[in-house]
Amino acid sequence: MLNVVIASATLDFLSVNVWHILMAVGNLLILVLILKKFLFKPVQNILRQREEEINKTYSDADKALSDAENEKAEYQKKLSAAKSEADSLISSASERAKAESAEIIQNARAEAERRRKNADEDIELARRKAVEEMRDELGEMVIDLATKVVGKEIDPKTHEELINEAIESLGE
Amino acid sequence: MKLEIEVTGAKILLTLPLGITVTETQVNMWLVMLGIAVFCIWLTHGLKVRPTSKRQIVAEYIVKTAENFVTSNMGQKWKWFVPYVAALFSLAMFSSLISLLGMYPPTSDLNTTAGWAIMTFILITFYKIKTNGAFGYAKSLTEPIFIMTPMNILGEFATPLSMAFRMFGNVASGTVVSALLYAALASLNNAVFGWLPGILGEAAEKLPILQLGLPAVLSLYFDVFSGVLQAFIFCMLTMLYIKSAAEVED
Repeated sequence: MLNVVIASATLDFLSVNVWHILMAVGNLLILVLILKKFLFKPVQNILRQREEEINKTYSDADKALSDAENEKAEYQKKLSAAKSEADSLISSASERAKAESAEIIQNARAEAERRRKNADEDIELARRKAVEEMRDELGEMVIDLATKVVGKEIDPKTHEELINEAIESLGE
Repeated sequence: MKLEIEVTGAKILLTLPLGITVTETQVNMWLVMLGIAVFCIWLTHGLKVRPTSKRQIVAEYIVKTAENFVTSNMGQKWKWFVPYVAALFSLAMFSSLISLLGMYPPTSDLNTTAGWAIMTFILITFYKIKTNGAFGYAKSLTEPIFIMTPMNILGEFATPLSMAFRMFGNVASGTVVSALLYAALASLNNAVFGWLPGILGEAAEKLPILQLGLPAVLSLYFDVFSGVLQAFIFCMLTMLYIKSAAEVED
């Protein structure tokens, strides 16, 4: 004979006990609170924090990008402004240089003209001087020649006058 | 030879005044709850926004799976219901699985499953009244014709009753079948080895040779498969009944 007895003081296999039903419900509700406090709340908090961090990262990146775009546009504006300024500087400088060079050329021309005039005057002067000298020398030569030819001293003063008259009448 | 098997409920461990008794059911359920609480605390300590531990991955996976389980069956606005379903599922499942450790499974006590089913019934009725109004709820019991009212009321109570007995029956029958099988194998063991003469026979009778193996396979079905499946079914039914109770009928 085999006798399987599980325990001496037990409930019936099918028993209904209001306290036990209430305890089962209470246990379930307590476990709900336990899971809420120790599993769901901490994990959901972490998940929310992670979402916030990701959103912040994205918005930061967007902001940095728009800042960079703005700065780029500003630099381009500045660059083009500098370029146009440089262009205007160069063109004004070249205009001034042109004007200056024209002035210099004009001055040089005037100077050259003036010098040519002076030179012409000098040449004229020299020519006259030379003519004068030649006249003098010619006179002396003629007197010398005449003295030698006549062999006799003629009064130089009288003769000179005579000769000058002769030369003058010969013309310039 | 006669086989006598006594199938009983939980052992009474403590009797308090007012006839309140504390049995194995309660104590084992508290142990299960303690185990779940300790596991949760261990899982979620030192959580970081950028996870560095496998623990956190597991914790997040459990939370997301539970949320997905509830919201895919009930919709996004029932997210607050996730902890209840998670508690119900984990308590039901581990209360059944505890029998693997040779402990009395609290879900083989009708009072346990009845308590949970009554909770579901209360929620169902609450949402029916909240959605249709008390009058609308009372009116729905008289449809399609007035004669059907007793049937409809019976139908309302049939839901928690069937839920309670489904889980209780599955888990408790596993215990009964296991006990029967053990007894049968023991007598078979006796019959096979008992004829050995003298001290050899007595030793063989006491050695549970045939009890090895087969009960383990059976326990795999009754304890593991049935326990998990019944917990799942109980949660599914709870969610679907409550959801359909909260839906406005057109």
